[in-house]
Amino acid sequence: MAAPCGRMASRYVIQFLSTFPRTTSRMIVGFRHFSSSCECRVAIKTKSVSEPVSPSPYRLAAAVCLQRLPVISADCAPLEQSFKDMMLQIELEKSLLSDHELRLIEDADRLRRKQAEDYDSDEEDSHMDQDIVLAQDLEDAWEQKFRNFQPAPRVRDDVDKELNSVQRCLTDSLVLVAEQTVGDQKLWLLPQTQWQEGETLRQTAERALASLPVGLKATFLGNAPCGVYKYKLPKPLRTENSLGTKVFFFKAILSDSSPSTPPNGGLLWLKKSELQGYLKPAYMMKVGQFIMDL
Amino acid sequence: MNPVFRKVQTALAQALALSQASSACRVSSLIQHRVCGGPVAIDNRQYRTMPTHGIGKWKYLLPREAPKKKKDKLQMKQMVAATQTAYGTLNFKVSGYDMTLVEHYTQYIHNLCNRLDIKVSESYALPTKTTEVLLLPDQGTKMLVDAVLKTHERIIQVNSLNASLCPIFLDVLLKNQPEGVQLSVKEHSEADFQARFKARPELEGLMAQIGH
Repeated sequence: MAAPCGRMASRYVIQFLSTFPRTTSRMIVGFRHFSSSCECRVAIKTKSVSEPVSPSPYRLAAAVCLQRLPVISADCAPLEQSFKDMMLQIELEKSLLSDHELRLIEDADRLRRKQAEDYDSDEEDSHMDQDIVLAQDLEDAWEQKFRNFQPAPRVRDDVDKELNSVQRCLTDSLVLVAEQTVGDQKLWLLPQTQWQEGETLRQTAERALASLPVGLKATFLGNAPCGVYKYKLPKPLRTENSLGTKVFFFKAILSDSSPSTPPNGGLLWLKKSELQGYLKPAYMMKVGQFIMDL
Repeated sequence: MNPVFRKVQTALAQALALSQASSACRVSSLIQHRVCGGPVAIDNRQYRTMPTHGIGKWKYLLPREAPKKKKDKLQMKQMVAATQTAYGTLNFKVSGYDMTLVEHYTQYIHNLCNRLDIKVSESYALPTKTTEVLLLPDQGTKMLVDAVLKTHERIIQVNSLNASLCPIFLDVLLKNQPEGVQLSVKEHSEADFQARFKARPELEGLMAQIGH
């Protein structure tokens, strides 16, 4: 999957610093925050022009495979659920009592002893003032707080149906697909742009991302492309210099999208299973190889 | 065997030369008795010709080791430099509040690296950090202890990760990241290594004194 080195500008590997936390906030669906400060060691060496390299007849383009990772974990299958219940039960039965549970038992014992007829408070071993806040009271207070907490619903059917909303299908990973004009056709494909002289393919992919109407911040996962798609022009259009286009795909993870995403007709967030309905079959075959539906 | 017999021979010579005290005579007789088999063994050691001679030896097969000093200062493993096709030494830091999740995710990453033939140079844990959450209630000024949170951190150090494998590897890691666990990828540095050691205030005080 290496980019053609003949035309490519070779560069040093860029050091990157990225953090991927998971936030689960109540009202707003949290995105994973990425802070990547790239310290590019700027040494872009271009091959010496003295040797006559015949230019490849293919035009180069770079596309970005922007993914939104799942926000919440997927629901368990029935078998997984029953196994999970069984394991939890086994673990509970094998476990020792925690501090809080020990305290509960102690308090219950002390109460019982107090209520007995022949109770002598001087016989108490510990003179700490544990009578003020019983462990049971603490537990009641916590129970109250838990009942007041309303978690957001995991599955929201109405949002799931909107194909251009970033917050649909929180349990799956989504890929951004844009409608772009290639040649004279309007096609659904991963956002791509033409490669220009003097820039790296990854920069081309970043440009492709930036050229989208909606402001999307992403972290690119690496400098190497993850896939390639070769497109040959139909016979009548072929010339000496342009047989077709080679598109290189770069993976990126969505870090933050602007909260006001206008319902744009040109952008869709699709699951891998839905991609087939929108992409061309040959394109889908190549793209499906590197999009992982974990 | 040889030195023993040489000593025995010299002792015998001395004893014979003296030929006086009874104990010496007794010793000499004893020695004589032993030496009867001795010279024969010293001159032609029959067991060397046995086909099974030296059958139990194994130390010669081991590589020569330098004699280990008793107190060896902990050296940092060499940091690999980044090349055009591979990253240098990277640190994958997994942190979170739930220890079982953090540890299981770390094991998952380690096993995945073994599968994909990515060299894992080190896998260690940083000390647990305890955070106390204090709440200020609406009435009253005293802060109440609400919760005690412990942050666990595990680090996996990876050498020379292939640049073409990196995006796929990271994608898999991110897609399998459990909830409540944070993953962070950084380059390894000398400062990271030194941060693992405890500070020694007396030593630092003495060094400062010497410096001044």
